[in-house]
Amino acid sequence: MSLISATNLVKVYGSGDTAVSALNGVSLQVEPGEFVAVMGPSGCGKSTLLHLLGGLDRPTSGSVMLDGHNLGDLSDAKLTELRRRKIGFIFQFFNLIPVLNAIENAALPVTLDGVRQAEAQALATEWLERVDLADRLDHRPDQLSGGQQQRVAIARALVAEPALILADEPTGNLDTRASEEIATLLRQVANEWNRAVIIVTHDPRIAAYADRIIFLKDGIIVDQTVLDPKMGRNDGQAIETVSSKMLAFAD
Amino acid sequence: MNIQMTLAARYLRGRKMRTILTTLAIVFGVLMIFGMNTILPAFSTAFQANSLAASGQVDATVTLKSAGAFDAAVAERVAAVDGVRVVSGLLNRSMNVTADYFDGDPSIPDAISALTLVGLDVDQATALHSYRVIEGRFLEPAAANSGGAAEAVLSQSLSEAIGIGLGETLSLPAAGGETELTVVGILPSRVLPGNEEVLVTLAQAEKMLAMPGRINTIEVNYNSLDETRRAAIERAILDELGDTYQIGALEANSELLTNMRLAQSIFNVLGILALLMGGFIIFNTFRTVVAERRRDIGMLRALGANRRTIFGTITTEGLIQGLIGTALGLVLGYLFGLLIIYLLSPVLQQYMNVRIGSPVVTAGLVIASLVVGVGVTLMAGLLPAMNASKVTPLEALQPVVGVISLKRLIGIGFWAGLAMIILAVVALLTRNVSLIGLGAILFIVGLILIAPTLVNPIARFFSGLLAVIFARSGTAQLAEGNLSRQPARAAITASTTLIGMAILIMAASIISSVHLGFGQVMRKSLGSDYLFVPPSVAVWGTNVGAGAELADELRRIDGVAVVSSLRFAPAQVDEVAVSLMGIDPTTYPLVSGLTFSEGDASAYNTLQNGRAAIINPVLATTLGASQGDEIEMITPAGRQTYQVAGVGGDYLNAKIATAYISHANIAADFERNEDVLLQVNLAAGADKMAVESDLKAALVQYPQFRLISGQAYIEENLRLFDAAFSGMYALVIFLAIPSLIAMINTLAIGVIERTREIGMIRAVGATRHQVRTVVLAEALILSALGTIFGVLAGLYLGYMGVEAIRFAGFPMEYVFPTMGVAIAIGAGIVFGVLAAIIPARQASRLEIVQALRYE
Repeated sequence: MSLISATNLVKVYGSGDTAVSALNGVSLQVEPGEFVAVMGPSGCGKSTLLHLLGGLDRPTSGSVMLDGHNLGDLSDAKLTELRRRKIGFIFQFFNLIPVLNAIENAALPVTLDGVRQAEAQALATEWLERVDLADRLDHRPDQLSGGQQQRVAIARALVAEPALILADEPTGNLDTRASEEIATLLRQVANEWNRAVIIVTHDPRIAAYADRIIFLKDGIIVDQTVLDPKMGRNDGQAIETVSSKMLAFAD
Repeated sequence: MNIQMTLAARYLRGRKMRTILTTLAIVFGVLMIFGMNTILPAFSTAFQANSLAASGQVDATVTLKSAGAFDAAVAERVAAVDGVRVVSGLLNRSMNVTADYFDGDPSIPDAISALTLVGLDVDQATALHSYRVIEGRFLEPAAANSGGAAEAVLSQSLSEAIGIGLGETLSLPAAGGETELTVVGILPSRVLPGNEEVLVTLAQAEKMLAMPGRINTIEVNYNSLDETRRAAIERAILDELGDTYQIGALEANSELLTNMRLAQSIFNVLGILALLMGGFIIFNTFRTVVAERRRDIGMLRALGANRRTIFGTITTEGLIQGLIGTALGLVLGYLFGLLIIYLLSPVLQQYMNVRIGSPVVTAGLVIASLVVGVGVTLMAGLLPAMNASKVTPLEALQPVVGVISLKRLIGIGFWAGLAMIILAVVALLTRNVSLIGLGAILFIVGLILIAPTLVNPIARFFSGLLAVIFARSGTAQLAEGNLSRQPARAAITASTTLIGMAILIMAASIISSVHLGFGQVMRKSLGSDYLFVPPSVAVWGTNVGAGAELADELRRIDGVAVVSSLRFAPAQVDEVAVSLMGIDPTTYPLVSGLTFSEGDASAYNTLQNGRAAIINPVLATTLGASQGDEIEMITPAGRQTYQVAGVGGDYLNAKIATAYISHANIAADFERNEDVLLQVNLAAGADKMAVESDLKAALVQYPQFRLISGQAYIEENLRLFDAAFSGMYALVIFLAIPSLIAMINTLAIGVIERTREIGMIRAVGATRHQVRTVVLAEALILSALGTIFGVLAGLYLGYMGVEAIRFAGFPMEYVFPTMGVAIAIGAGIVFGVLAAIIPARQASRLEIVQALRYE
């Protein structure tokens, strides 16, 4: 069974004359350990898709099944619990709490779940070490570089051992080198630590790290490409494959 | 819970300035309420300590309800009641002495400024109490001391305080002139609170106080310890004596206590207003906080924080601020109380001879202040906390954009507000003081409710004005637009300024009117050339006056044209304690004069015929009596009916229920022959220096009086007024400052919500200066809103306040507070500019690209 599956998702914003259709019937499945990139031009609905998959928003019609639960059947409280335990979020602008340090930020999902402070921070420390931030544990966000902040966000996304990681333009705010580091890390999260990872990106170099790329246009899936696992991820061939696909489906 | 505390504490620490400013609002409110309420008990304690009964040492104390003196034979009647074991008749008089009376040294603070003369029947008193003399002997019973030598017994503490020991002479002021007493015995040091006592024989006291055959207190011991039996004996005593007597203590200063309570209510109202403003500010601050942190909140929700956690975080922040603010408010409130007592002590010492101790803190008051301070903070943060909990996770990912409010502005709120304003005006017309007070609150609430509707037209008007000032830069229109899109928010901010300004104007109105009204009355009452003033002008009962000989002596001085004196007796009318002032109807109008609200100077003539009285407005209002009515007074000889010849008052008794009767009546019905205040007018062309020197000479035998020229006395009083009122103004300005905080917060939210917009105007060519000007214009418009409403509210409240005080019986005339309005407008402009500084700087410093990318 897929970890997460979406069936015929439709999302319409507004009503009447000002109604905007962000998704027009999107269906997909993602398996554990899979690294999926969602790409498409601006306004194609990729962020909307991510929000619906993560239970941050409700579809106008269609359903999302996560780990056997239909998200549409869950109350707000249950959805919230799901987000704490089953889903890890990574955002473009890091969204770290400015008044908490790295450990405290990383520990947030388990702290919110009621885990005792000592244990929560131990878990957070473990993940921070895994993402190479052992020497920055008590630094606040304003004392970390962009790349380091995103690593904290990744550690935070993983601390509750969720099955699914959702990332919205995780490298959008980073330079090339940091972007590649993050992309490598996400690949590790999927392949080594066996989570399902879905990222939204417009950057072909980052999408090249994924196992599968879904192209959205005007609210529907227009293409799905599986990249050859033997292909090097930051070599020109993978990137070129992705870029040409993008060109093919762009306006 | 832990994460909420951590987040709350960190966020508060992260914005120290704002946390401090917000917490200050709570500190103000709690400081006022707590501080004021520690002072009144201190006053009460001090006044009660001056009371005369040695309660707890005897079973009962019998006195006249009117606190006057009565025939010594009444004690025999009490002794004859079944169940009474022993009685002791006393003639007590609390006396204030002039400054430096004992040490004669102005550089040394007085140890004793008041004591109680106790005249006792030695046989009776020693049967009731045991006096353990440690040096010398006790007083001798009348029979043994037939020589009539003037003897006194003091406590050791008094002896040491005034430096007069066994065998030495103690001089005390008396009606017949200064009296010398030989100290024959020393008792142990006094441990009870209250004045030190000088014990003399009853005969000696009667002579010193010019009250032959009189006592004013009967101490009684029963022969039973059984509660029921004792209650029966008490009833039997009252049945025997009649309803003009009571079983209880002689309480001086009860009317002052009433005035203190009035002052306390006023300060409590101010304190509540301060707390309300604090509440507005907390509300505003938390709204700012929630707006700023929408992203963080959304993200926490995305990570799995439930609504309760978010609600709890904001509420915890409020709780922390509330606790800190309240704790600080308690500490500062105590210090504030100390300061007030320190400032008022000299006044009280001089006029009422009362020494006030430290502020009194009770557990109940602390708890009440805590509840109020923390409660207001929590309530104010409730709505923002609820809004925060409704922030969806998506908001973490979307830009923060200000919501444009396009609802119909003329809704229920507007009509309700209008209705309240109309009701408030109607209340003013009822002339009922409590209704008028309610009307004041209705007026302010009504204004706040109609404010949102008026934001747009007023903003438009002022932006037009500002456009002229900031010519051709388009900034004024932008500012107006910013405010109009969120009229509710603009209105709430303006409301804080409204309250602050309203209080300022109201205080200004009342103070100017009081100044004028009292000033006029004062000049009339104290307009004689010279006055002989006793130590306590406000509390006549604690003065030892002079017999008629002093007035006669003054009349004989060359150059003196008129001498008129005031006499005093305590009385009671319909359970109301009344100060009776005896005046000479012929001479009084020549040196002084009452200000009449009913009747006129012909009332003086009426006083000379039969039993007639002029009552002052306070008494008239309390009794509901007017000219031509009859009132029944309790006198030592029973009840007597007096006719009200007119309603009028003077400055010295303005705040106390007072009735003026003739010297003849006060002597006949109340057995008072002492002059407690004398006023002297000189003849035309008299040699002032010579007369003054003769007047001083006459005073040598009467050290209980102070000679002062009328002009100097008026100036002295005016200075006191000004000092008290400067204090009020300072307080009021205190209250206006929190409104500044509210404005800063609102402007800050505006800047955050329009970050992209600001980036855009900069990108298309606006300079940093122009951006700053937009924020400044907004601030000025906001401030104008608050000031206009505040001035309107203040003018109404001021008018209403003056009317209310006038209806309560004090002489007042409404004066338009031009100065106050000018200050308010000036303050409004200054506040506007000050509030804009930080937000304007933040707005102008936004980097264009970052601002445009702000999501």
